[in-house]
Amino acid sequence: MVLALLLALNLADAVPARWPSADPKTLDLLAETPINVLLLERAPAGTAFSEASAVRGISVLAVVRPGADVAEAVRQAAAAKLAGVMLEGAFSASAWDAARSAGLAVVELPPRHELRLNPAAAVTGVADGVWPGIRAQAKAAATGGPWIETNTGFLRYLRANTTAAVWIGNVPPANTVIPVTSYLAAIADAAVVGARWIVALDEDFSRRLLAREAAALKDWARIGALLRFFEEHKKWRRWRPYGQLAVVQGTDGGTILSGGILDMLVTRHLPVRPVPAPKLTAEALAEARWVVNVDPEALSPEQKEVLRNFTRAGGTLLNAPPGWKLPAPQPGQITLSDKELAQIDEIWRGVNSMIGRTNMGVRLFNVAGMISSLLASPDGKQVVLQLVNYTSYPVESVTAHFLGKFTRARLLAPGEPPRELELYPVEGGTGCDIPQVSAVAALVLE
Amino acid sequence: MTRRELLGLTAALLARSQPPAAPVVIARAESYTAGLEPVLSTVFDQLGGLERLVRGKTVTIKLNLTGSPALRFQGRPLGVTHYTHPNIAGVVAQLMGKAGARRIRFVESCWASGGPLEEYLLDSGWNVRSLQNAAPGVEFENTNNLGKGKRYSRLKVPGRAYMYPAFDLNHSYEDTDVFVSIAKLKNHDTCGVTLSLKNLFGITPASIYGDDAGEQEPNENPTKGRAESLHFARRRVSRSAPQEISATPNPDPGYRVPRIVVDLAAARPVDLAIIDGIETVAGGEGPWVEGLRLVRPGLIIAGLNPVCTDAVATAVMGYDPRAGRGTAPFRQCDNTILLAEAAGLGTADLSKIEVRGLTIEQAKYPFS
Repeated sequence: MVLALLLALNLADAVPARWPSADPKTLDLLAETPINVLLLERAPAGTAFSEASAVRGISVLAVVRPGADVAEAVRQAAAAKLAGVMLEGAFSASAWDAARSAGLAVVELPPRHELRLNPAAAVTGVADGVWPGIRAQAKAAATGGPWIETNTGFLRYLRANTTAAVWIGNVPPANTVIPVTSYLAAIADAAVVGARWIVALDEDFSRRLLAREAAALKDWARIGALLRFFEEHKKWRRWRPYGQLAVVQGTDGGTILSGGILDMLVTRHLPVRPVPAPKLTAEALAEARWVVNVDPEALSPEQKEVLRNFTRAGGTLLNAPPGWKLPAPQPGQITLSDKELAQIDEIWRGVNSMIGRTNMGVRLFNVAGMISSLLASPDGKQVVLQLVNYTSYPVESVTAHFLGKFTRARLLAPGEPPRELELYPVEGGTGCDIPQVSAVAALVLE
Repeated sequence: MTRRELLGLTAALLARSQPPAAPVVIARAESYTAGLEPVLSTVFDQLGGLERLVRGKTVTIKLNLTGSPALRFQGRPLGVTHYTHPNIAGVVAQLMGKAGARRIRFVESCWASGGPLEEYLLDSGWNVRSLQNAAPGVEFENTNNLGKGKRYSRLKVPGRAYMYPAFDLNHSYEDTDVFVSIAKLKNHDTCGVTLSLKNLFGITPASIYGDDAGEQEPNENPTKGRAESLHFARRRVSRSAPQEISATPNPDPGYRVPRIVVDLAAARPVDLAIIDGIETVAGGEGPWVEGLRLVRPGLIIAGLNPVCTDAVATAVMGYDPRAGRGTAPFRQCDNTILLAEAAGLGTADLSKIEVRGLTIEQAKYPFS
């Protein structure tokens, strides 16, 4: 029980990874990484692995999947002196109770359509997500830009709903060659919005890594460096979204699917602040000048009054059409269907005409293959722009026009020394040219 | 005499005489960084010097930034695939500034946008501040609509036009003393090759010639390309502008686009053609064309006559610039260069064009 409590306390700072071996010798591979929670597909027979892990400050959980005997799995985990179990997938309430009754730590990772917001949980998350990256267009046209598959919209929404650590457990697509840049994108896709991707290597990479092949070790070092980068700046997880555009969304229906309004805004690099309908207050809109209300019918009369006051004070409100609501996700569904995308287009057209060339916090240029996240420190004195590059090439000459006056800019990137960048005045704010973005870059402004 | 009258007179005189011939320079340029300035400087010297062309003048430079800047080929920078490379523009501006140009205005009709060209360039990965500082008097204008002008300039096609008797264009194409086309050495899905002539297709404002142009008056916020009206004749251009000559337009883009390009080149003659063939693509004009591939010819081709320049560039690409429809690269289209020659804009006859620098044989880089 004590161990479980300790782990629960540590889960907020956990850096989880699915680990392909229960051989204590493989723990050496973690030396240069911040990974501190390992997930094993099954509890090992003895206690050697958990003891060796504990020496390194690493906790071990066993993954339990639907169909397994939960009570027996928990018993085996306890016998192997593991810190707990992660129930991954759809389980009955009685299964959850059985897991919890053993006194070990229990992480719940349901499929997206069964997402639960448990206020007492140290970790909230889902087992499934899209595999981040650029989706090839079925038929290209001169007008088309790349569509980025991302979980950031969903994860932003989830983060706005909970104070728990947010994990996402998507795994690499099968029968696909996964370059290391794709793993870096998966890590950053979650990390820039303050969530965690559970590191999961494909079979081939795992095999080569365990065999300590040079190329695999080199790629693994890049993965470790990126994880370290986000741990070195973990304070950003507590920073608030910076920007003047808020999106009010209900907590049911299709708001938890990827490819929705938040992802559309994010791929246009609009610094968006999700506001869950139950949390809509005047304070939640304190810095907003534009509000997109995706689910008007989810609001109480008091909350509708908050929005009325917002517009009376000069704010711009875009309401979804009356009766508009995305249907609840189906089992296995993680992205919007074509029909739902067409439905969301009704709102998107309005959003597009409302936005124009307005600077809602930052305007970014030459970022077609990237996703960005803009956060402000609690005291409002610092702002960080994080950029994730989903292309296979470094992107040169990215330009950012920030709303507001800043006097100092530092560019941070994994494995590179901080670099001071020049700032210059632009219409309504401050401009900065970022020479290059490899996998990830962060620009800290003061 | 106004600039417009001077333009008209010059073009009419050209049309009446034999197609003119002008020298074309071919130079080796291995990269967009080291050594680009001396290469371009030598190219301009071989053409007779920039100073006599630009001193005290307003120069308008039409870039080639085709398709959305968000659309990259294999994720690579646009300048090494299908866009004019920013360093070419920067060095040209720098040299023109040194040569005494009074004003250098970069123009392009930005894909599906009426916003500032500067922002489009930023989206394309250009360092606009650096370009702005490359020479005194550098300006930018998106010519997809009125831009900074108060009215459209109506530029007439002298003599007998193929498709349109005149075009309503952004003021930049009239308010200039020198007009430069900086193109890319590449193929074109519709026209066979995209060179300094085809680059002019993009001077038509989408506000009038676009797929969401206003029916009567221009739409100053265009959000689409020009395929429906200019490529396929599926819709008319805004009624405020001169209409297509034929009452029953030919809908074949392989017929239409080359002729429209020649009409544009006649209405707005090019004084200096520069073709960026350092790094480019073969097989089409952009990533939306299947079978596109990266190539590195390592060449700059420039001349004072766009027809001659394009004829030489076409030969460098391994094609016969006098080839007719059905022969590569003009498999499904009429040959823009021959149509331009027939309109009296310049000769496509290689035997009449003096090639300076590298010979065509030395520079040859087959694109097919």
